Amino acid sequence: MSVVTEFEAGPRAANPAARSDRVFGTLTFAAAVVVLLTLLGVFVSLAMGAWPAFQHFGASFLVTAKWNPVTDRFGALAPLYGTVVTSVIAMLIAVPVGLGIAIFLTETCPRILRRPLGIAIELLAGIPSIIYGIWGLFVFAPFMQSVVQPALIDTLGQVPLIGTLFSGAPYGIGMLTAGLILAIMVLPFIASLARDIFLTVPDMLRESAYGLGMTRWEVNRHIVIPHVRTALVGGIMLSLGRALGETMAVTFVIGNAHRISASILQPGTTISAAIANEFTEATTPLYTASLIALGLVLFILTFIVLAAAQFLLRRMKQKSGV
Amino acid sequence: MDTLIRDRSPLTFHDIDPAPKPRIAIRNLEFFYGNTRALKGIDLDLPENRVTAFIGPSGCGKSTLLRVLNRMYDLYPNQTATGEVLLDGKNILAKGTDLNRLRTKVGMVFQKPTPFPMTIHENIAFGLRLMGTAKSEIDDRIEAALRGAALWEEVKDKLQASGQSLSGGQQQRLCIARTIAVEPEVILLDEPASALDPISTGKIEETIHQLKESFTIAIVTHNMQQASRVSDRTAFMYLGELIEAGETAQIFTRPREERTSDYITGRFG
Repeated sequence: MSVVTEFEAGPRAANPAARSDRVFGTLTFAAAVVVLLTLLGVFVSLAMGAWPAFQHFGASFLVTAKWNPVTDRFGALAPLYGTVVTSVIAMLIAVPVGLGIAIFLTETCPRILRRPLGIAIELLAGIPSIIYGIWGLFVFAPFMQSVVQPALIDTLGQVPLIGTLFSGAPYGIGMLTAGLILAIMVLPFIASLARDIFLTVPDMLRESAYGLGMTRWEVNRHIVIPHVRTALVGGIMLSLGRALGETMAVTFVIGNAHRISASILQPGTTISAAIANEFTEATTPLYTASLIALGLVLFILTFIVLAAAQFLLRRMKQKSGV
Repeated sequence: MDTLIRDRSPLTFHDIDPAPKPRIAIRNLEFFYGNTRALKGIDLDLPENRVTAFIGPSGCGKSTLLRVLNRMYDLYPNQTATGEVLLDGKNILAKGTDLNRLRTKVGMVFQKPTPFPMTIHENIAFGLRLMGTAKSEIDDRIEAALRGAALWEEVKDKLQASGQSLSGGQQQRLCIARTIAVEPEVILLDEPASALDPISTGKIEETIHQLKESFTIAIVTHNMQQASRVSDRTAFMYLGELIEAGETAQIFTRPREERTSDYITGRFG
């Protein structure tokens, strides 16, 4: 594994401290290898399980919206579309609100409120997703159906261009509702991650920004957030990963319909919801393989998101000249 | 409230040398961290276009005093100041003081360099834009500020590089350039050279010499030689009190107080 140098072979090698150091090094290396092996194992078994589906449908599996167990026709486009749309809705809402909470907690919050609020956010993060699902189905979806969605259809739905996004009947359940539930679920993650990240900003950097006469907004927008952007993008991507893979709550409120609608008020499905819903019903080998292929697609989608994040970070660094 | 009874220290600059007009006048300043009294009845004038050095053992309140002068303490809860700090005749401790404006008038450079996460050019341009400087002027002002901080020659070819890519000494001069670019009236330096090597320290001290022609400067330092090199006036503080203040030469050669001479000669602190 490594070259034994003269120094390591010399008198120092007899030293038990040096030996324990080597054991320690090997152990940490082994821990790192376990991660790689697990990743590889998951990928290989997904690929093997999905193989029949790809053999049968080829690349058209990825671009077909049909999902018909009766005729054994399967395509991943509808759940892929639902996954991306719900996650985008969730991030559009959760990122600004989460950053707002974090900035409030680190900058303006009175000291007495700081701990209770922090604990409340962590409690919110601890609620199991099935609870969000039940609440979403029985409380939130009816509220969406009777209040929010009709209002959206009457206002934004009439605007040209974006109107189609908010057209159709108010079902209550659907992609917007799922996206909102997801937003609520990832919000505490983003807020508490961002708070911890903001706390790493040296007071002196903040003070020197205030020392130039900057306002709170300017300090946070131009100094604090750029200073921690790497960690922040990492945190947001973690949350996005969670939103992409979230299963239970989404299954409850998205409607589980394999179709692609322009309107976000319509029912749809996501990859993880489809898998959870249909695995017990998958009667033919091709059906099962198609569901596993969906899992592989999600795996690759997550990988692409992470890769895109890395690319984004590199671009940002180049632009700021780091 | 017993602790608030004035124990005015006996000496102000006026008693010794009334010559330059004071830019900042501190009157009976008290400062509290929660219930801890960190500054006790400080009276002091900072004369215009002079460098005033604050010396004293750690915890004597010299940095605290500096942070009162631009109300930096206001960012933190439970920190309060009473008394008066007059800048151009106006009490900056008064309620309703525009803190953003105050801080553009009273600039500050910190113990460690704090370049912003942006390019060298942007580090300085940022403050200028906040001040509403015309776009056409910005490049000239940046060059002037970098020359003022003795950094221009070293960075003129890499203004688009990150401010954080510079060496520690260069970063600190960038911070000074950033501060003087917005043309404050007063510059506060909180141990600006404590994290730097001797050569960088020398450059910073030279810079301070040139800056006092246009600015009023207050510097906190632990380095006695530095205080004697860069300052015109020196204030010795101990346990939150201003023990003695006067011409630097006088403080270092003929201190009036025994505690001052003990500290300067290294008997404590």
